Amino acid sequence: MNGKVMVVTSGKGGVGKTTAVANIGCALAVRGKKVALVDADIGLRNLDIVLGLENRIVFDIIHAMEGRCRLRQALIRDKRVQTLFLLPAAQSKDKDAIMPEQMKELTSELADEFDYVILDCPAGIERGFKNAIAGAGSALIITTPEVSAVRDADRIVGLLEAEGIEEPKLVINRLRPDMVKRGDMLDIEDVIDILAIDLVGVVPDDETVITSTNRGEPAVLDGVSRAGEAFRRIAARIEGEDVPFLSMEAPSFWGKIKRFLGAGR
Amino acid sequence: MVFEFMSRILGRKNRPGSKDLAKERLKLVLAQDRVDISPQMFERLRRDLATACAKYVEIDAANMDVRFDSGDRTLALVASVPVIGTKRDSYNSRRRGNMG
Ligand SMILES: Nc1ncnc2c1ncn2[C@@H]1O[C@H](COP(=O)(O)OP(=O)(O)OP(=O)(O)O)[C@@H](O)[C@H]1O
Ligand SMILES: [Mg+2]
Repeated sequence: MNGKVMVVTSGKGGVGKTTAVANIGCALAVRGKKVALVDADIGLRNLDIVLGLENRIVFDIIHAMEGRCRLRQALIRDKRVQTLFLLPAAQSKDKDAIMPEQMKELTSELADEFDYVILDCPAGIERGFKNAIAGAGSALIITTPEVSAVRDADRIVGLLEAEGIEEPKLVINRLRPDMVKRGDMLDIEDVIDILAIDLVGVVPDDETVITSTNRGEPAVLDGVSRAGEAFRRIAARIEGEDVPFLSMEAPSFWGKIKRFLGAGR
Repeated sequence: MVFEFMSRILGRKNRPGSKDLAKERLKLVLAQDRVDISPQMFERLRRDLATACAKYVEIDAANMDVRFDSGDRTLALVASVPVIGTKRDSYNSRRRGNMG
């Protein structure tokens, strides 16, 4: 197999990289793809708890790299979606424990076995970032519609270009339709206009992201979550499907009732 | 208090949404980020530009506006240089001055 190695990155911290990796990865696996999620945020392990797999870690990425276990042994299989796997970050080491070359080797080994290898990149543009992008063939850039996040995303686009990762795709996260409507938040067109890269999805600011994270179940597994639906559509687009964008209208009264009844999607 | 409340609502209505300002500011700062030129170099560019222009027309160097503009990941250097007079004017006025 010759899988796709994709890094999810943002520059700015806390904009939703880990959330996106968990949800997009899970959605791709639900579609039947074999997916390996790699937590490249060494020292600040998070992807495990977001996925609800924190109690099943025995080995981590550093163990696998140092040959203290086989790569296969460090991979945790998700019990809900059988084709989803996690390679957890080491919690006790720091980012200097890995070299970009090692990361390249590791991801190419994974790409032999998986359809998708998705890397959760740490915030920043230093060593951890360089490691995470080392083996990537493509990139998803996450931003929120805020000046600081968009500025950092622009910097990332430039750095990726310099590393030969062309045409990154953009995900706008935590959009608030009510604020856009009253002209107090950059809208989708503004962000695309400024960054000048292709959009692959827009995820609304949605409480179900927090509640699903509390439970350790990605929102894409929740049939009525708006954010979950947005992430499912991103997965479909990554697979080359041409799906319409989710309407970013604030939900109407009837829409809310329908969602309450579980019928609306 | 009622007045304050009213004026706040009205004031809010008249105030343009903050996103236009956000976009404007972002565009400017990103243009600078993308060129990645030091303030010293930029100042030199400005000065050289002023010197070059002054060879042909009389300019108001203090009020010139030089900036990078960026759209679609391409860059443009945009300069607005106020012209006070043409060289012919200054040449003439100087001559007149000399004769007086
Ligand atoms: N669409 C959303 N709606 C509501 N909350 C969200 C959304 N996306 C992310 N969040 C919340 O924002 C916080 C940060 O998200 P996340 O951890 O995914 O960001 P990150 O980019 O991985 O952060 P870091 O840079 O620290 O790794 C979390 O509490 C998450 O639940
Ligand atoms: Mg994270």
